[in-house]
Amino acid sequence: MEPLIDDPALTGKPLSAEPGTVTKKSSSTQGKSLTQIAMARLRKDKTAMVCLSIVVFFVLIAVFAPLLAKLEGQDPTTYHMDLVDDYGFPTIGPNSEHWFGVEPRLGRDNFARWVYGARPSLIVAASATVISTLIGVVVGLVAGFARGWVDRMLSWVIDFTLSLPSLLFAIAVPAVAVSVIYGAQEGVSAEQTSDVRFYSLIFVLSFVGWANLARLIRGEVLSLREREFIQAARVLGVPTHKILFKELLPNLVAPIVVASSLALPTYIVTEAGLTVLGVGLSEPTPSWGLTISAATSYYREDPLYLWIPVLGITILVISLSLLGDAIRDAFDPRTRR
Amino acid sequence: MLLYFLRRAASAISVIFATLVASYALFLLAPTDPVGTICGPKCTPDRAADISAALHLEDPALQQIGVYLKGIVAGREYEIGGTVRECDAPCLGYSFALGRPVTELIADALPVTLSIVLGGAVVYFSVGVLVGTLAARHRGTTLDRVAVGSSLTINSVPYFIVVLLVALYATNVVLPAAQYTSLLENPLAWASGLLAAWITLGLTNAASYTRYSRASMIESLGQDYVRTARSKGISERRVVYRHGVRAGLTPVVTIVGLDIAYQLTNTLFTESIFGLPGLGRLTLNAFNTYDLPVLLGSVLVGSTVLVTMNLIIDILYTFLDPRVRLA
Repeated sequence: MEPLIDDPALTGKPLSAEPGTVTKKSSSTQGKSLTQIAMARLRKDKTAMVCLSIVVFFVLIAVFAPLLAKLEGQDPTTYHMDLVDDYGFPTIGPNSEHWFGVEPRLGRDNFARWVYGARPSLIVAASATVISTLIGVVVGLVAGFARGWVDRMLSWVIDFTLSLPSLLFAIAVPAVAVSVIYGAQEGVSAEQTSDVRFYSLIFVLSFVGWANLARLIRGEVLSLREREFIQAARVLGVPTHKILFKELLPNLVAPIVVASSLALPTYIVTEAGLTVLGVGLSEPTPSWGLTISAATSYYREDPLYLWIPVLGITILVISLSLLGDAIRDAFDPRTRR
Repeated sequence: MLLYFLRRAASAISVIFATLVASYALFLLAPTDPVGTICGPKCTPDRAADISAALHLEDPALQQIGVYLKGIVAGREYEIGGTVRECDAPCLGYSFALGRPVTELIADALPVTLSIVLGGAVVYFSVGVLVGTLAARHRGTTLDRVAVGSSLTINSVPYFIVVLLVALYATNVVLPAAQYTSLLENPLAWASGLLAAWITLGLTNAASYTRYSRASMIESLGQDYVRTARSKGISERRVVYRHGVRAGLTPVVTIVGLDIAYQLTNTLFTESIFGLPGLGRLTLNAFNTYDLPVLLGSVLVGSTVLVTMNLIIDILYTFLDPRVRLA
């Protein structure tokens, strides 16, 4: 980790200084941790800050969805059949009562469904990220630190998970989950199916996501465990779990943060994509994927209906991915700006 | 060396076998009602009994898996409604909903998926390498910045959104409608029907290949032998394409191999949105009709493809990079 401290851009020394003089440590950066340095770099990155504020904006929309809908005076489930003509097309456009207009066919309020629709995307992706990171880190730490059959077994499980066709698996699990939990197909209400779909989506995304991180962490631990401070801790008789979580884990912050911030947008995309295909979330949950899927039949007559969720998801995912790239650059000592 | 291959092959086979057992357990041994599910809403008791007998569902779990395995190796027969249906050698089960062996269904779908993935690979490889090489040659200029910046952005746009928008707004207008005709039947119709899928898959993936090949080319153009070639007075074009590209592309080719394996199991969005009858759409339809044998078969085929491609790439790599053999 030493090269970071030598980074001329961070020590405040002129970049044009001769190579030899740069290696001296400046007192102002001594004692800064890797995370602090990365944070400082990130704060200076304009793209990252713009992306971060967009992400925060969407999170606020999701958190305050009920409040925003109340502000508009609508809710996401009420049908407004009076605003839909005999052919199912809405008779009104966006107005002061329905800010984004109403849905074709059922006449539910588009704005309310849009703000509520931000929720499942963020909740599913965030939970999948947290769960897969936890599993990945623990398995990676144990596999890397243990030798012999424990490592061989865990590595095999990692290989096995990585070779599962993830999307096909994502389709297969919810199909089975509904019948496992509620028995036969008949008599399962839409709400129950929708709940099962929601949780099995989180399960599937975490299940296919943890193995990549575990392999990464295992590799890092393999090299870290030979370092002096770990040897010293062992000689001192520090218990293994303390070595793992107090000595090794703090050195793995960078790969963990980078991997999970790059994984988050892919979970959002997978969730929404599967939902569009009809194998992700299901009605009556308001979700962007479901709206997109319904709106494709009206794309010519009612483009706004399609484009609101499309833009929502695209902007959110682009910001999250660019933010993830910026975080990776900030943690990477080789990046020079 | 031979020992390394054997160990890798044994591990690959064990992974495929574990997938088989795990997915079999998930679909047919879980506390569900597989017969009712497969049989569907208009189920008669006779048909249910037929399906149960055909799947050997009354037998112990291990024996069931044994029968299934034997079917894959030697083929088996299914008796439905008094008639016997042959299911030839790599028998992956029988779709009671579609009335055909799963192997046949997958064999029908595979050429579609292969056509999409390989055609897309041609597009993204050539576009990516071309733009990446250009960016590397003009490193630091506006062209380079535009190429890298747009590749980062294109990479971040959700893939299914791109497919959806192309399918809604571009096909039938700028691009021919997406449909599948067999290559042997009518090559021209085959190409024009798949053009939309190739372009979408190709251009979205070209973004990452631009970055890979740019990085790789910058490295190889900085080598001493390139400087030597330049100092000999060879034309710049020849230096870049003869000396630079050859060395710079080796790592990129490996990534293509991995990507093709991954995409073969992930053409779901391309196929279902464009309406092409490939492996992804077969699985999706199986989901909608709860056709468990087809789901099981396609998960198995998918994981076999992934494991085999990984094995092939690993073995190729040991020839390219001697350091790997020690691992």
